[in-house]
Amino acid sequence: MRATDVALMERIVARDETALAHLYDRYARMLASMLNRILRDSQAVEEILQDIFYQLWRNASHFDASRGSLPAWLLVIARNRAISRLRHRNPAAGEELVENTAVMPLSLESEISRQQLLGRVKGAMEILPQEQRACIELAYFEGLTHSEIARRTGDPLGTVKTRLRSALEVLRRNLQP
Amino acid sequence: MNGHPAHEEDFDLYALGALEGEEKQAIESHVVSCVACARRLEEARGRVALLSFAAPRTEPPAAVKERLLRQLRNTPEARVSRPARAARVEPAGAFARWWAYVLVPATVALVLATAYMSMENRRLDREIADLRAAVQDQQKQLDYARTVAHLFEAKDTITVSLAPMPGMPQGAVKVMYNEKMGMLMYDGWIEPPPQDKSYQLWVVPMEGSPISAGVFNPATSDRAHWMTKVPEGVTVKAFAITMEPAGGAPSPSGPKVLVGPAT
Repeated sequence: MRATDVALMERIVARDETALAHLYDRYARMLASMLNRILRDSQAVEEILQDIFYQLWRNASHFDASRGSLPAWLLVIARNRAISRLRHRNPAAGEELVENTAVMPLSLESEISRQQLLGRVKGAMEILPQEQRACIELAYFEGLTHSEIARRTGDPLGTVKTRLRSALEVLRRNLQP
Repeated sequence: MNGHPAHEEDFDLYALGALEGEEKQAIESHVVSCVACARRLEEARGRVALLSFAAPRTEPPAAVKERLLRQLRNTPEARVSRPARAARVEPAGAFARWWAYVLVPATVALVLATAYMSMENRRLDREIADLRAAVQDQQKQLDYARTVAHLFEAKDTITVSLAPMPGMPQGAVKVMYNEKMGMLMYDGWIEPPPQDKSYQLWVVPMEGSPISAGVFNPATSDRAHWMTKVPEGVTVKAFAITMEPAGGAPSPSGPKVLVGPAT
């Protein structure tokens, strides 16, 4: 039977390396895909991937499963680091498990659930008009703010704000469990 | 921002990193004092993280897992007990034997030393990052303490005791308020609300509608204190804590739990 994230985290707290290896097998592909899309630099992807799981090993005792989802936290931290590196910024302060608590609307513990989500997210993105999808991608994968997107695309700031807000509303509706 | 962000997209935009300036600060200052909105932000982080699945799927580099597990075992004892693979040298003569006895161990030692230095370097980098985070935490605490001290020292800060209403949960709360600074500090305890309810603190002005100063859900009856920004220049008639639906309400709708007149 597949061990839950919570059970694996408990084993990691007890310094069980195989539990970390299980979590790595479970989530490394998800993280590597995102990191590759942001950085397009395999060396940087490797470093961030290793660092994040090492941080998980060191801070496992701070993880409170009742407050947050482990894959969501991994994705938030991985994206923060990748965007910081992409934009030559210092990594955001406070990357502790508690400060970046994130709650995911669904479980990602099984490969099937991750595959299903992949299809749903791609489907939801395809629903979006091209301009909205471009705004979402610039914000999420390049870490651009409203005004930076406006400068990049040459669109008025208000238009960019409306596009992002509309896109997020559509995505939220379509990704609800 | 005094009230709660109106739409879930406000939290999504913050989690996405698209907000800047006042819009960003408004969310940040609000979630510090509003438990319900802090939770909404956590949910927004999770929703936004789903966007990662829009990236083309790629396999993680195979070497990373191996390096990671080696890193976990990277204790001084392990380094000592794990012998380097011996180089197979078959010298033909005295010079070759010298080569084997001196240069091979020296090379192995050099490789080990380089690996050790590299690992130490990474360890030190992490320690520096941890220290930097600790300093930033302390700076935040120091800023908070300074603001509290400023509030205490200001001559025009008023302190109002809130008394429990009959039949309502028990508690003892004091509110310190400075009209010019637009700062309010809650200090006290109150019995936890029912599961589907939240407490909400209101600034009741001399004129106009009550202004929300924070939604909170104490898990225990322990004393707590927190501070929040409210609009500056509001002359206060009273402070009140009401029991509202979980997450709070845009205007008072539930029963008063504790009330204190400002004059």
